[in-house]
Order: sequence, then structure tokens, then C-alpha cells
Amino acid sequence: MEAVLEVEGLKKNYGHLEALKGISFEVKPGEIFALIGPNGAGKTTTLRIVATLLSPSGGKVTLLGHDLKKEPEKFREKISYLPEEAGAYKNLKGIDYLKFMAKFYADTEEKAREYVDRAKLISDLGSRINEKAGTYSKGMVRKLLLGRALMTRPELAILDEPTSGLDVINALEVREIIKKFAREGISVLLSSHNMLEIEFLSDRVALIDQGVILDSGTPAELKEKYQARNLEEVFRSALR
Amino acid sequence: MKKFLNLLTKEIRELITLQLFISLLFTVFLFYFIGQMAKTEIKRAMRIQKIAVLDLDGSLLSQQLTDSLSLANFQVEKLEGKSKAEAIAWTKSSDINLLVVIPTGFGESVDTLELREMETYSFLRSFSIIGSRSSVILGSVVNALNNYISDDFLKKKIPDFNPEKLKKPIRSKDYVVVKDRMAEGAAASIAGFISSQSIFVPIILMMIIIYSSQMVISAIAMEKQNKTLETLLTVPISRTSIVATKMLASAVVGLISAVIYLFGFRYYMSGFMGDVSRAAASEGLPKVIQELGLGMTANTYLILGVSLFLAILCALAMATILGVLAEDYRSAQSLIMPVIFLVMIPYFLSFFSDIKNLSLPVKVFVWAIPFSHPFLTTQNLLLENYRAVVGGILYMLIFFIALIVIAARIFSTDRVLTMKLRFRRKKLVL
Repeated sequence: MEAVLEVEGLKKNYGHLEALKGISFEVKPGEIFALIGPNGAGKTTTLRIVATLLSPSGGKVTLLGHDLKKEPEKFREKISYLPEEAGAYKNLKGIDYLKFMAKFYADTEEKAREYVDRAKLISDLGSRINEKAGTYSKGMVRKLLLGRALMTRPELAILDEPTSGLDVINALEVREIIKKFAREGISVLLSSHNMLEIEFLSDRVALIDQGVILDSGTPAELKEKYQARNLEEVFRSALR
Repeated sequence: MKKFLNLLTKEIRELITLQLFISLLFTVFLFYFIGQMAKTEIKRAMRIQKIAVLDLDGSLLSQQLTDSLSLANFQVEKLEGKSKAEAIAWTKSSDINLLVVIPTGFGESVDTLELREMETYSFLRSFSIIGSRSSVILGSVVNALNNYISDDFLKKKIPDFNPEKLKKPIRSKDYVVVKDRMAEGAAASIAGFISSQSIFVPIILMMIIIYSSQMVISAIAMEKQNKTLETLLTVPISRTSIVATKMLASAVVGLISAVIYLFGFRYYMSGFMGDVSRAAASEGLPKVIQELGLGMTANTYLILGVSLFLAILCALAMATILGVLAEDYRSAQSLIMPVIFLVMIPYFLSFFSDIKNLSLPVKVFVWAIPFSHPFLTTQNLLLENYRAVVGGILYMLIFFIALIVIAARIFSTDRVLTMKLRFRRKKLVL
């Protein structure tokens, strides 16, 4: 099966600091691929590069045959990015925020309505969707943004710590939503500190530390390889 | 285009907030209130003023002086049978601000042209200019009386001689020349009239630039503070469009704010300027202005508008770049200061001096500031210095294009997320 996203020898330097030292991986259609690693490992930098926010210092990133450096606009049409710390426009009502974002992707009014309806379902904010986002709790904002990220059924959803700031119930709901959309064919590239979450969600995992991918595979493969009970133990063993 | 309009609508909606309306309405109300107060005060000052007169002389001349005061719109309160000290004490306890004491022998001394002083006491109950107006009027009354007495004396001594010839042997007739046109009139009055008519230009410019720049820099800073910028930068719309919509929305809202602001300012100024315009019209100044070709035409306004618009665009582009350096809304408010200073320099210079007369290095510095050019445009257009006008417009256009290219490049690279000015460390982090 041809990969949706291909990353080859990706490098990123911030001045003298090498944040990424030539990492490679691919994400297949309908697959949830997770990057796990400690703070400063290079997870968010990788996600930001794929989301066209940062330019790579080296290597190649292609999405369905489109080169990131040459066609960043094509990338933006096909991806959807949920940053770890993201917000919504406080003066806009939740519903207006969704309509605003939908218009960037929809060619017709009907398509835009379809996107907004889907986002409303994912967000599940009830009547609060008609209130200003400035009045929302952190969890409500996160669900609104997840709705926004998945409403267009992107070729690749890039989710940085998707359950960040959510309580247990909301986090469970969000994980179910991500899983459901992946089953429907959406590819997901995500990062998280939460190993249990990664284990529950991911089809394949890459262990990243200091800008280098230490190992990758399905959670089951990795657990077997490192003789570990869970991904936390896998990660600890891989670091040694 | 649909995406551009979608983003533009959002930007305008974000900027037009209840707080903005309240602040604008408050400003308009404040201007209206101050203007009305000024108008009332001026009207009050123009009304008949009370004056106390202690005539210790009782001569024909002192009587004439008292009558002249009545003719000069004073309501004269004659103090009878009081000493000077009693008169001062009485006036002090009353609401009268001016006391005139005509000493004994006043009429006699004038007959022989021996100097004798008339005493005036002004009771300052406030330090406003309007409050001291009655003493100015009294001064002109005394001047008129001096003229009358000296003319009378000269007529008696040299019956067939016009006293004016002796008092003012040289007279002047004033002409003003502008380029190849000439008209009779005083240069100071014409300059005063023109500046009173074009006073709104620097005020409009300053207000719009400050308003719009603050809006665009805050809009970018708020995107960072509210963590919405990253999401916006990943949607399928060009970075140039993101920059352009922010600038355009700020310009539109800035323009609307400035119009509302000016509406209030008109009330404020009408309190002070109403009489100036009427006085100028009565002196026949508008006719002289037309003769000299100094009137504002539709073309003048159009070119001035282009100049103002380019200055606004330059300010917006500068603010956009500065906005990228801001970490949050608070730091954005500090970062706007350079733009405000750059507007203030030509603003004050245009009020207090002629930029043309400055030394060359200072002149070059002032010309290098794009906002200086609209301040000079009116003057240059009226004086037909078209090269300076076109030069200024071209300079602003080039300046704007350079800034917009820089802004678009910053927004197209990592710098939009990584560049910030840390005030504590005072260095650029790239």
C-alpha cells in the first residue's frame, strides 16, 4: 500500500542546535502513526514541519507525491493540524469559528455546511456551540478544535497531544473519535506523552529522542522486541 | 478571492468589539462636552463685562473715559464716596474682575500733557485666557483714549494739520506674492487662515496611523497570545493574503474610527474656531486666498488623500513586522511606540517650524520618515512644489513595497513563529 506521508532524512537546525538529525518514517492510509519521546526530543518540530509551519533544514517530505518544499499550498489543502496549545478566536461563537474554517476548504456552500455539521457532531458542544469561544472551558475548546481538525476528513490529520488538558471522560471520547475517523480512512500522525493513549490509539509507533528515531514498529512488535509489558518499559529499554 | 474575503470578514469582526464602540462613543462625547463648554465660556466672555470705576477726579475727561467704557461693552459700576482701599475691598468681595481708579487731577494733567497714571486692578479668579479678556479690552479702550487725547492736543496746537501724519509718518501697504500671483493682504493673516483650514490634516493622519497600527499589531499579537496563529498558518490560504487581510481590516476599522473620532473633534474645534472663520471671512481673506491660488481644490484633496493613504499603508506594514516580534498583547503595546514616535516627529515639527529651514542632516532625517510627507503635501500643493509632492508619494510607495515584501517573507518562513523580542534580555531571538 502506498504511503500517504513519506519522511526521508528530515533535519532541522535552530542555529547551532540540531533538533532533528535525519529522521525517516512513513504513514500509510488509515493508519495512526505516533511519535513518542521526552520533552525536546523533536516530536513537535517534526509535526510542525509536516504541517508546513517550519521549513526543514534537510531531507525530504512528501504527501501523496507532493513535495513539501515545492508545494506547501498542496500540503495545506490535504492536511489538518491540531497544535498542542491551540485556541479559538474568543470573539467568535463556536459555530462561527467552524463556518470560518470550513470556508477555506469547501468549494461550495453545501460542502461547507457538511463540514460544519460534522464538526458539530465531533465537538458535541450542544447549545454552547452558539456561544462565544471566550466563554468555553479548556476541554470545550479542545473538542471544538478537534471538530475543526477532522471536519474536512483530511488526507492526513496531524494531532499534537490531542487530549492535552482534557479530563478522563473527555480524553476517552476524543480517543474514540480519532480511532473512528482512522477506521474510515483518515491517516493520523500524532504525538503524545501519554504511553497508554499511544498504545490504545496507534497502529505504529516511532520512539524519538534527541532528534533521532531510536526504533519503530507496532506496539505489539516493540513490546515483544524489548520484552516489555507496556510502551513505557519499551521506551526505557530503547533509551538504554 | 472567496478565502481572502472570508479571512477579511473574520479580521474585521475580531476588531470591531463592544470595547471599541464604547471607547469611541466616550471619546466623541468627551470632545462634544469640552467643545460645548468652550463655546459657552467664549459666549460668556463675549457678553457685557462688569467693571468698577472709582472716579476721584470728576473732570470732563474722566467722564468721557467712563462713557467710553460703556461703549466698549462694559457695564460700568460707579463707586461713589469711597477711598481707593475701600474700592479695592468692595470689588474684591463682588463678582467684578476689574477696577479702574481715576486719580485726582487726571483731567487737568492731560490738558497740559503731563503724564498722570490711571490705575487698573485686575482680580484674577482663574488663570484662563478667557478670564483675563476684560483687561485686554480695557487696554484697547485706554489706547483709543490716548489716541483721542493726543489727536485733540495736536489739533489745538496745529489746527490745519492731520495728527495722523505726525504720529505715523510712514505707512505700509501689504502685498503677498505666491509664485507668479500677487494680492493685497497681510502674510500673517493669510498663513493663519490657511493653517486654520488645514489643521485637520496632521490630526487625521496621526489619529488614523496610531489607531490602525495599534490594531494590526494587536491583531497579530492576539493571534499569538490566543494560540490561533499556528492553526491559521496551516489553512490553505497564502501567507501574503494573511498579512494583507490583517492590514486591510485594520485600515478599514482605523478609518471608521478616525471618522467617528473626527466627528467628535469637529464639535470640539467648532467651540474655538467658529469665530476665527467668521473673522477671516469679514476681513475678505477667502477672496485674497483665491487670488493667490491657495484654495483647496478637488485635485488637491485627491492628491492629499493618496499621500495620506500611502502613509497609513507604511504604518500598517511597519506595525505588521513589529507585531511578529510581539509575544503577547502587552508587549505589542510597547512595540508600537517606534511608529508613534515616527508620527509625532513630523507632527510637532509641522506645527512649530518650517521643515525647509532645518539643517541638512535633520532635514534628511525628517524626509526619511515616510509620515513626514503627508504633513508637507498640503503646503507643497498650495505652493505648487509638485516635484516634492510626487517625490514624497513615490518614496512612500517604495517604502511600503519594501516593507510589505519583508512582512510577507517573514510570514512565509519560520520567523513568524520563532522571531520575538525579549524585553528582559533585550536581544533578537531568531
